[in-house]
Amino acid sequence: MAKQSGNILPPKWADKLLMTFLPEDLAEELQGDMHEQFEMQVEERGLVIAQWLYAWEVLRFCRPYFLKRKLKTNTNESNLISIFSLIMISNYFTIAWRNIHRNKAFSAINIMGLALGMACSLLILLWIQDELSVDNYHANGKQLYKLRNRQYYDGKIVDGDALPGMIADEMKRQFPEINYAANLTWEEKMTFSVGDKANKELGRWAGEDWFKMFSVPLLGGNPKTALNAPNNIAISRKIAENYFGSAQAAMGKAIRINDKKDYQVTAVFENLPQNTSAKYDFLLNWYDALEKNTWMKSWGNNATFAFIMVRPDANPANLDAKMRYLMRKLVKDMNPKEYDIHFTIQAFNDAYLYSNYENGKQAGGRIEYVRLFGLVGIFLLLIACINFMNLATARSARRSREVGVRKVMGAKRGSLVGQFVGEAVLFTFLALFVAVIMVIIILPGFNTLTGKQISLNINQPSFWLILFGMACLTGVVSGSYPALFLSSLNPVRVLKGALKFGAGARLFRQSLVVFQFVLSMLLIVGTIVVYRQIDYLQTKNLGYDRENLIYIPAEGELGPKYLAFKNEILQKPGIQSVTFIGSIPTRINNGTTGVSWPGKDPNIQIDFSNTNVGYDFAKVMKLKLEGRDFSKAYGTDSVNYLVNESAVKRIGYTDPIGKPLTLWGIEGKIIGVLEDFHFQSLHEPIKPLIVRFTGNIAQRYIMVRTQPGQVKEAINSLESVTKQMNPKFPLTYTFANDEYMKLYMSESIISGLANYFAFIAIFISCLGLFGLSAFMAEQRTKEIGVRKVLGASVLSVVRLLSGDFLKLVLIAIIIAAPLAWYVMSRWMENFSYKVGVEWWVFVLSGIMAIIIALLTVSFQSIKAALLNPVKSLKSE
Amino acid sequence: MGRPYLGEFEELVLLTVAVLEGGAYGVAIASELKKRTDRIISLSGVHIALYRLEEKGFVKSVLGGATNERGGRRKRLFNITALGKRTLDEMRDIRNELWTSIPKLSFS
Repeated sequence: MAKQSGNILPPKWADKLLMTFLPEDLAEELQGDMHEQFEMQVEERGLVIAQWLYAWEVLRFCRPYFLKRKLKTNTNESNLISIFSLIMISNYFTIAWRNIHRNKAFSAINIMGLALGMACSLLILLWIQDELSVDNYHANGKQLYKLRNRQYYDGKIVDGDALPGMIADEMKRQFPEINYAANLTWEEKMTFSVGDKANKELGRWAGEDWFKMFSVPLLGGNPKTALNAPNNIAISRKIAENYFGSAQAAMGKAIRINDKKDYQVTAVFENLPQNTSAKYDFLLNWYDALEKNTWMKSWGNNATFAFIMVRPDANPANLDAKMRYLMRKLVKDMNPKEYDIHFTIQAFNDAYLYSNYENGKQAGGRIEYVRLFGLVGIFLLLIACINFMNLATARSARRSREVGVRKVMGAKRGSLVGQFVGEAVLFTFLALFVAVIMVIIILPGFNTLTGKQISLNINQPSFWLILFGMACLTGVVSGSYPALFLSSLNPVRVLKGALKFGAGARLFRQSLVVFQFVLSMLLIVGTIVVYRQIDYLQTKNLGYDRENLIYIPAEGELGPKYLAFKNEILQKPGIQSVTFIGSIPTRINNGTTGVSWPGKDPNIQIDFSNTNVGYDFAKVMKLKLEGRDFSKAYGTDSVNYLVNESAVKRIGYTDPIGKPLTLWGIEGKIIGVLEDFHFQSLHEPIKPLIVRFTGNIAQRYIMVRTQPGQVKEAINSLESVTKQMNPKFPLTYTFANDEYMKLYMSESIISGLANYFAFIAIFISCLGLFGLSAFMAEQRTKEIGVRKVLGASVLSVVRLLSGDFLKLVLIAIIIAAPLAWYVMSRWMENFSYKVGVEWWVFVLSGIMAIIIALLTVSFQSIKAALLNPVKSLKSE
Repeated sequence: MGRPYLGEFEELVLLTVAVLEGGAYGVAIASELKKRTDRIISLSGVHIALYRLEEKGFVKSVLGGATNERGGRRKRLFNITALGKRTLDEMRDIRNELWTSIPKLSFS
């Protein structure tokens, strides 16, 4: 009987079927009995019948009793050793903790990398949240719209948000679906005096509907009556407390502004939240602005912002279509063929982030930076995750025995995956803790860099929820691949000590490294290009000398007494020359089409920038010019014009000096041609410019050229003269250089941030590379030993070990270069004057990446190459 | 009656376990029964009866050591418990009582 059992077996299919019926705990004994009976039957009745009987017997095992029992034991068992069992979880923690402990360097690299990545993404997340929240806090937000116009002239379409002063009232009159409408003017610094207290404050004029539309909480006063009369003023809590002690005390009090007119405080509003785009510390009534600037009543002058609030049931698309041609109705003599203005609306909540328009179409704005940084944040986190994955899989050789033992002891794959993912999550939570501390430390610096006031909302559950979600996501992403890889190991082979990484695993790791370096390369190139562009902007010769140039707003007595002031100040030390100008020369943004000359094609409207200036304009600015400057020596210059070269080109004069030019119907002649200089930001090309003379100094800025190196003396002189001539106004001045730098504020911020982020990205990548190379060196210890015994030099071993990584970095460079070129070219399109993305930038970045990678890797490979082969080969 | 119900087939299996005395396992019981009753006995039926008997506390079982037979698979060996024995005794007494109570009538 026993002899035959070796060769005569029951049919396999029946056996298999049997196993599907039987509960696992009974399978052995039952199958044993079945086989024994089978052998007996073979002896008694022969093989064929025995097989039939066996099959029959198997079928009879398909009984509810066994099936039920099988189902029950299955669920019982998984409950016993489930990954959620307390004992196993505490064991996972122990093992994870021991692993962290045993490999302190690895753990530190892992946690630091993750923490850095998370800290950066957290900062970026906070920044994005802040950006998205700007202007987004108004209760009526969905009904609020910003009015915009779209001008068609000279073959161009130009979008803007500066509108005629009467537009708000007109809109309310024309369209019943508009509930409220209000203008808002530019920002202006005014001198407040209450009793003997005087100070400069920054504010605007706004329509009387302002507080009805926007959710600005009032501490005193009524939103319906806050700005009803031209002598009303609404002030912020800050101003109220500053001048009157408290909000309540301020109500109804009088404030004298610019020593001219008294205003009565009719409302005190809460200080505006940081995430407000149009800031003001006080608001004056709109009609007060109209009284002072009667030119705003003309439909041809665009100067104010305007906002509307529609009825809840209004259809904004319809409204937009209805208001489009309103201008043609209002200005009867406008010829839409040569010059046309359409009105259009933009949702107020979008206005801040989507402010750019090109050719009548929405073309991004700050949202592009939001997206860009969002992407950078994800990249940084991804780089950190990749590090984690790489190090974890690389180190799986050490963990493989553990996996083997666990599997032998009956661990299922699911529980192993759970264990390793859980371990990764544990790591990320440690990293998160470090990251939050980092963020708390960095945040003040980050705020000064970005000009925001972001704080960690520690008391908000949503903040912790986001953190928790971020850590879990990072943990799962970074733990997933190592977990799947490790849990798939075959215990028999692993315990034998033969752990071979498949080609797939190696390829995967290598592509992760390549991916990391592509991202790092992108950031390096971006940093260099942005830096070069910023440097170009800052050092570019603008056509005038912006060193040693000071602007002083002509307030109070300075306007009327300008001539006396000029004479006085020129006597004082440190002052070279003085003039005045209508708008500061970094932003001459006034445009007009009211220019004509003999022979002009009446169908073409050309937009001329213009400003008004005093005597010695070109001299103070140090502009190169042909012809002459405005000068006292020539009597009246009031109908003489200076134009720039671009204007001459558009006009078409070959010998322009002395030729006639008509501005706003006043015929005059050109007395000088200024060499083109930049009077707007370098985002804009140089436009045709007309500079006209005015003797009437109700003008805005006095420009003072100081002696080189004597700025301090010049300021002292200015202070002493203004104190004596204009005692009610404290002296304020700005340097032309600072004004100019302000034009590129967002670029400087971007450049600063890009620097930091590029550095961090590279740092994290290198951490990963460092760990990986350490592992590789360790893996190949024996190989290196054999090579050295056979006569390999240290150099050749180092080359061998570093070469692998170098190859990856090279591939990364090749992939990254065109990507970087594309991205940076897109960014450069924003500038009319730019440095261009040159080839050597890529070479430089590539070399940098290679050097950084080599330095990182060579530390480990040199260490491995110097190892005595006797030591590495003695144990097997 | 306080004790669990015992079916006819179960009773037979229980008796066989007692008969085989320590050597009782699936195949042995099945062949013993077959020999004695000349019925067709299915192994699965025997096993279910055994497990039920165990659940009811009439038999107890241990896994035997592995042998070279049956491909190295172990046997589960069943032994009758005191409860099982008492139950069998009780049933036998009841039966005897009943038998003696039958009036001797028309057998002749």
